[in-house]
Amino acid sequence: MTTQDDGAATQPGLMVGPTSEFSLFFRVKPDQGQSLRAALLDLQNTPGYRPGDYGMAIKTIHEARFVLFDEDTRLAFITSFDGPWDAYMEDFFTSGPTIALFDLIFQHVEGYEGLPDVAAVKAFVLGAEQTAAAYARNYGGTVKEIRKAQRVADAFQQVLDHPQAAEALEHPALQPLLDEAAD
Amino acid sequence: MSTVTTNGITLDLDDIQAGALYERPSPYVGVYLLLRIRDRADGRDLVRRLHRLANPAGSADTPDNTSITVAFTYHGLKALGVPQESLDSFVPEFREGMAARAAILGDTGESSPEHWEEPLGSSDVHVAVVVLSSDAAQLREAAEKARQAHAQLPGIDLIWRQDCYQLATGRTSFGFKDGIGQPSVEGTGRPSMNPRQQPLKAGEIILGYPDETGELPPMPTPDVLGRNGTYVVFRKLHTKVAAYRSYLRAKAADRADEDLLGAKMVGRWQSGAPLALAPETDDPELGADPRRNNDFTFADDPRGFKCPVGSHARRANPRDALDEDGSVDVRLHRMIRRGTSYGPILPDDVTEDDGADRGIIFVFAGAHLKRQFEFVKTQWLNDGIFIGAPLESDPLVGARQDPGSFTIAQRPIRRRLQDMPPFVITRGGEYCFAPSLSALRWLAELDT
Repeated sequence: MTTQDDGAATQPGLMVGPTSEFSLFFRVKPDQGQSLRAALLDLQNTPGYRPGDYGMAIKTIHEARFVLFDEDTRLAFITSFDGPWDAYMEDFFTSGPTIALFDLIFQHVEGYEGLPDVAAVKAFVLGAEQTAAAYARNYGGTVKEIRKAQRVADAFQQVLDHPQAAEALEHPALQPLLDEAAD
Repeated sequence: MSTVTTNGITLDLDDIQAGALYERPSPYVGVYLLLRIRDRADGRDLVRRLHRLANPAGSADTPDNTSITVAFTYHGLKALGVPQESLDSFVPEFREGMAARAAILGDTGESSPEHWEEPLGSSDVHVAVVVLSSDAAQLREAAEKARQAHAQLPGIDLIWRQDCYQLATGRTSFGFKDGIGQPSVEGTGRPSMNPRQQPLKAGEIILGYPDETGELPPMPTPDVLGRNGTYVVFRKLHTKVAAYRSYLRAKAADRADEDLLGAKMVGRWQSGAPLALAPETDDPELGADPRRNNDFTFADDPRGFKCPVGSHARRANPRDALDEDGSVDVRLHRMIRRGTSYGPILPDDVTEDDGADRGIIFVFAGAHLKRQFEFVKTQWLNDGIFIGAPLESDPLVGARQDPGSFTIAQRPIRRRLQDMPPFVITRGGEYCFAPSLSALRWLAELDT
């Protein structure tokens, strides 16, 4: 999908199904590599962001990573988001705790003027975005659908653990479930 | 000078067109006129005359609430000789116009601009004049003044006219009471009908004031042209009422089930009673009570057992339903909406198409075309990604080329309506700018 903005911009971010890729690249302020690593470790230890918590503040991103590279002089933020993310840009900066978390990280990169100037933060983030040259996904579905699918899969395993499961699944209406019950 | 101050915001109500800010009377009759400017001098004369007729928001309401609102397309401002630098300062969506945005808006297939009613979507549409009144005689008088304003000018052509109305019941062609759930706006002095929602920042609706982000909305230059103006979208939407009724009849067990399915699709009963407050049966007293029919949230019903997450009203205004997502601020996607009916109402119980053109003239007013009108249309009505149902669109007004589905949460097993055809076809529309009264004077006095 493209927009016709006087020759400007194709819509930023490639989409696969309902999901779009979103990648930001920053330059770390001189001598801030170490403090940035510490800030990222703090983020990693925030409830919801610890491995296994599966509870990030933005419920519509599949995963997110911060990567320091070039001897800690560059920072990448890479994620996958349900929906065309550019439609939600202003929402990110006025809703939820996301902007406060990012503020602690962005303080260590060049060009960041800091809150509370939301318009400046938005321009700063958009300026750091690079659309992927290639983007592929290995499953369809939004985070909301995946979470529902996980709950259904867990429920199905509970059904299979029931002593009369085989008998219960004999009904013709349950044939698609029986087809998935053997392993 | 008429101003109201709320939270430190003083709106210049004497300069803002009433039609851009306030609800229309109900019931009412109205007429939409589209004009083409062939001669620049006549165009400016037209604006001078219309300026005298346009109603400021600060003036006392007339007993019959008669109002005239004036708005311009990009091509209209160009025809008036607005300098290019100024034209370039409008937001890109306005400069492109609705027809150029058709693929984004889902106006494809039968709804695509090549099928639109002439001259909608063409560069001939320059000026939109809307006359509304609660009284038919007053409407005729006001419409006659508007007619005189253009008919005496040879360089001005009347190229489209659409009569519209709102029934005393407030119901549109599908049979549902419409127009509930409007946001209130700081500085207008009009109280909110939803005590659970704070009034919107003025800059969400009117240019020149801070919006919900704390910033000023992008405003065209010079200041006198942009300030106190607002963007206005109008769309003529043909409603396939017979197809809608036939579909419900085919899917429902009986007449009561038809009513229930219709209510589940809309999120309200025909009376206007919200499912959130009346989940089982219609409650006409609730539907008719403006203090109660907008006084609800969705937080107690995350799975949509009362009001389906994909129903029209919950999509168009999710209230607090998305607060936990952390990625959307619903206050950035509100708008002033005015749905008005056109064409004859299909008599009750008729399920055969009579061939008549009937439907809704949808009108939006707001400061942000992209993050208000286009966002709601593309992300919430045409798509289902945000509710975890990417293949579903709004059951009533969603754009879909292929038959769609609609999921109704209920215990023990959800109900899913399949093979749902589109019930609304876009006949055309325009992105307009309704300038302030001082901007109308500025436009009339241009000497380019």
